[in-house]
Formats: sequence, structure tokens, C-alpha cells
Amino acid sequence: MSEQATAGFAVETRGSTQELGAFVVAARFDRTGRELAFGLGDGTLRLVDPAAPAGVWRPANLHDGAVLALAAHPVAGFVSGGDDGRLVHLDADGSAHEWAAFGMKWVEQVACFPGEKGLIACAVGKTVHLFDAAGHKLKELVHPSSVTGLAFDAKGKRIAASHYNGASLWFVAAKTDSPRVLEWKGSHIGLALHPEGEAVVTAMQENALHGWALPDGKHMRMSGYPGKTRALSFSRTGKWLATSGADAMVLWPFFGGGPMGKAPMELAGGDGVICSDAAFHPREEVVAGGFADGLVVLADVNSSRILPIAPPGRGPVSALAWSPAGTHLAIGTEGGFAAVVDLSKR
Amino acid sequence: MAAAVTSGPSGDTSAGADLIPVTVLTGYLGAGKTTLLNRILSEQHGRKYAVIINEFGELGVDNDLVVDTDEEVFEMNNGCVCCTVRGDLIRIVGGLMKRRDKFDGIIIETTGLANPAPVAQTFFIDEGVRARTRLDAIVTVVDAKHVLARLDDSHEAEDQIAFADVIVLNKTDLVTPQELADVEGRIRKINRFAVIHRTERAALPIAQILNQGAFDLARVLEREPDFLEDDAHEHNDDVTSVSFEVEQPIDPEKFNAWIGVLLADKGPDLLRTKGILSYQGDDRRFAFQAVHMIADGDFIGPWKVGEPRRSRIVFIGRNLNRPQLRRGFESCQAGPVS
Repeated sequence: MSEQATAGFAVETRGSTQELGAFVVAARFDRTGRELAFGLGDGTLRLVDPAAPAGVWRPANLHDGAVLALAAHPVAGFVSGGDDGRLVHLDADGSAHEWAAFGMKWVEQVACFPGEKGLIACAVGKTVHLFDAAGHKLKELVHPSSVTGLAFDAKGKRIAASHYNGASLWFVAAKTDSPRVLEWKGSHIGLALHPEGEAVVTAMQENALHGWALPDGKHMRMSGYPGKTRALSFSRTGKWLATSGADAMVLWPFFGGGPMGKAPMELAGGDGVICSDAAFHPREEVVAGGFADGLVVLADVNSSRILPIAPPGRGPVSALAWSPAGTHLAIGTEGGFAAVVDLSKR
Repeated sequence: MAAAVTSGPSGDTSAGADLIPVTVLTGYLGAGKTTLLNRILSEQHGRKYAVIINEFGELGVDNDLVVDTDEEVFEMNNGCVCCTVRGDLIRIVGGLMKRRDKFDGIIIETTGLANPAPVAQTFFIDEGVRARTRLDAIVTVVDAKHVLARLDDSHEAEDQIAFADVIVLNKTDLVTPQELADVEGRIRKINRFAVIHRTERAALPIAQILNQGAFDLARVLEREPDFLEDDAHEHNDDVTSVSFEVEQPIDPEKFNAWIGVLLADKGPDLLRTKGILSYQGDDRRFAFQAVHMIADGDFIGPWKVGEPRRSRIVFIGRNLNRPQLRRGFESCQAGPVS
């Protein structure tokens, strides 16, 4: 990619960077877009105003151990889960509230549905605990084995969880809780829901994806990955699903009869380096991809044009997040490098 | 499919130094696993361990991290019928690597009824686990007083002894010297290659438990088995161990063809296989090991000057057909078979 070396990296001209000294597990913007949090392997969140990233990156000590999962609170602030077994809400004023403590069980997944009537779900072992936006526990949803991925649908009506031998789809408000179980033998290690509710897609232990078309439950199988897929990111309309785990960003077409029988689009490949993270822009058909050598690029899906964002050398990219309006991109790596890049029109 | 040959839990054996050693602690209910674990954790060793358990026992842990998990064993969709792994371990190892404080080791305590194979296979199969950890040894705690009865009524107790690299023969104060000798004889019939430590109340220096390097290819047959040919159990459901040695160099192609078919065919019965081979025309020792169908092999250091270049292989498993295995191994020799 000699073209990129001469093109210059946006993080140098439009970015602000920090060395945070711990594995960046996740990055999230809050719902207002005025605050950005990096969740770290040292148990802290680092908070920064994306509009003034040269200022202080404030630490918030939330967990004794590592942050394992981070989500934007439905209204403001953040909700994090840790390997100390705690689910913690960091409110907009910067004070922390413990919502639940699960002892030696880890809180490995947190998902939020936005709004005043927002919802928060966390996965602890086999159980998904559901809370309202104020932190009141609503219910528990029990699965046959540990939950490895968690997502609300676009309306907050349903929640999907991946686990061994498939995924479960629950109606959040149902009086009697019995999920629709989507079965496929094997270990499912992560999940995404199509934004229009047309499919559930999981990543699998065997370096492949599995999907179920909704509502008919027809199976989809997407394979050929050299590594495990960690990132599953749909475009806003659900036209494309961007995935990590290959030596390019792999985008599956969810239109025109796809993804079955269609070849995926591969973007920013050719260097033999595994794509470790991918995140679709919240509005445009533009996708951010991070690689195992630290390279971060933006790719325009329709033109296949690549815009270099961050150069290699800072460790495998482990976190990518867009601000709600898509003006800022947050980057984090396993080595503790973090950046926020302003991509708004100037 | 043929045997799923991977490059092993530690990959290149010389690159194993940065990998976190993992000790698997097995043992039948009541054998003294928790007592041993407490001794490991309470000894003043100045090291920090992550301990993965299934239920919170009475563990004295100050410095160490204890993770509570449910053993979740699942089959890989790779065509190997016995290829099972622990999904919970894959997640936990991934999570531990995110912490800033690093660990000197990971200790996994299995439930009393657990088959050790899925734990061991996890460290061969999962790429993320292999990149960061190495399986060090399987340590099995055995109750000297009750083990003979357990062996008569459970496959699990037998499997745990068969898989062991180190056996802690505990509660020796509760048996007579003759009973102890009988128990050791029975253990040796199942697994003649493990190191046995006799203990009371699981008291022994942790140096005899941790950092054994038993799954390190370079040390795969470090402990010379005694090549006694006294084993009458050749064709039944008991676990036994057999070993063979040949003088002529091995033809790698013949060996790969033979072992591939053997593991694919008999993998469910072959609990552990280990070998050190002298390949024709190569001055390096080739080390080989397998857990069921999952195999791993690589060249390790050169043969020492003056060292006899004999190839050896051992099998621990059920229904071992000694003559057939012997003929198979002998047919792997290069050139005319002697």
C-alpha cells in the first residue's frame, strides 16, 4: 500500500492520540456524542470530549480487574461490565453506580437500547439480566450455555443472544419468556442483528459465520476466514455486513438475494495482515477497518476508495467506534494506543 | 478426515518462553484437589496465578485471581468425532489477556467427573489460546484409599490417570504399605509414564507440580519409560500403556501415513500418544504427540554425539492391539525392515 504511505494518515492531521498503557477493550461515544470513553484492561474508563481531544483524558476507576464490555447508556453516560463481576453505570456527572455484582462470574457482554425508555442488558454466564435505564432489574433470561454475544433489535422489542448450538431471540416485553431458538450445532462466539430485522448472524469457533434469515429461519453459511471473526457490523440500512477475521475487510451483501450465492466484497486487503476490527459508519456506506499491525483505514463501499487513518505499529486494533453523527472515529489497540479522529467536513 | 495435525499448543517449541504455562488439575471427587490447590496458592512463592474453578470451594486466595466457570464442552465441527474443547476456557483465556497485570501461570481445576481430553485439546486447537498459553502438565490427584474401587466403577477415574503427566498419590497415610504398592501397580498398568508423588494431605513442593514442561515437544519423552513387556491387557476396555522402540531410521512419509490413519481410525481409544523419532537423513530428533486425534509434531534439537538414534513411541489408551501397533511402527522404518 505505497499509495497510503504518501497519502498521509488522517490521525496525524485530524487526530488526537494518547498512550493509555492498557489493552483497549472497547471504545464508545455516549448518546449525545459529547463524550467518548475507552474501556481498558486495567479496569478504568478514559473519558474525553471528542470536540476538544487535546484536553485531559479523565480516568474513571470502575473495575478491579479488566473492563470486558462497554456500552453507551440509553440517555447519557456509559454502562460497563468487568471481570470483577460488576455492572457499573457511569453517569453524565462522572459518578459511578454499581447496578449489580455477580461475584466471581464475569460480566462479558453489555448491550443498550437508546432512549428514555431505554434498556440495558448484560450477560453473566448463561443468564442475560435486563435493566431499565434507571438500573432497575426487569428480568432474567436464561440460556442453555454461556452467552457470547448480545444485541437489541432496532426497535428495542427483541434481544438476541448467541451461545452454543445457536442463538435465542427473545421478546423483551413478553409476559411469559420463551425464546425463538435458532439452532445450528457448534460454538457461536458473537452475534449481530440485521437493522431491519431480516437476519441474525453469528461468528463461529470454526472461522466461519452462520446466519438465519428472518422470519423463515433459513440458514446461511459464510466461510473461508483464516481467523476468527470478532467484529460483525451492519451498514445503517443493513445492505452490507462488514466482518473481521480475514486479510481484508470482508463485506457480505444482504441484498439482491445475498449473501448466499454471492461473493463478498473485500476491501483494503493485500498486505497479508488480518483485519481485527471493523465498524460501519452510522449513516454512510463507509466502513472503518483496523488490522492486526495497527493500520486503520476508511473504505468507501461504492467506490472502493481507501482513506488511510492510522499507520501500523501500535499493536492490533481492538476497538473502533463512530460518534452517533459519524463525525468522529475512535481507535484503540491491544497495546494501549488510543486516538480520536475528526472526520467532519471543514 | 485424517488426523488434525496442528502445529501444537506452543507452536514453535523455541518460542514457548513468553507463553503462560497452564496446569490442569484433575482428580476424582474427594481425592484432595482442593487441598492441593490451597497448598499451591498459600505457599510463599511470590508468583501470581489465575485459578479457574467450577465452584467456589474454600480457597485461600489473596494474591491470585479466581474465576468461576461452568465447564462447557462442545464438539468441533471438523469431522473428528472425539474433538471436543472447553468453550469457557477459550473465553476466559481471552479475557485474562486483557488485564494489565500478567500472570505467572494459569491453573485449571476440573470437576471430579471431568474427562481431561477437552481441556487438553483446547490448548491444541484454539488459535487465540495457542498464541498466548502453553499446556504445561496434567496433574491428577489420586486417593490411595479409594481409587481401586473408583477404577472399577468409573471410566473417568481411569481417564484422569491415563492423561496424567504427574500423579499425586494422596492419602497414603490411610493405607498399608501393601495396599499402596497394589495401588501403584494398578496406576502403572494404566499409565507407566507419569511421575508419581506419594503424599499425605496433598503436601508436596509446588516445584513438583508447576512448570513441568510435560507437553513441551522437546521434553515429550524426557522421562524414560521402563520398557517392560509384562502387560497382558492387550484387547479389552481397560486403559493400558504400551511402548515400542526401533533401531532403523524412520521414513517420515511412511510414518505420517501410518499415524494419520491410526489416529483417524483409533483416535477415540488413543488417549495420549508420544514419540521421539529418528528420521532418515536428518540429524535432528523429531518429537510427536497427540491427544486423541489431535496431533502435534516438530523437530527438536539434534541427537547428541554418541547417543543411540533409536525411535520410540508410546501409546496410552483402550483396546491397544500390541502386535498390530508394533508391526505398524516397525513398518515405518526406512529401507528393508529387519
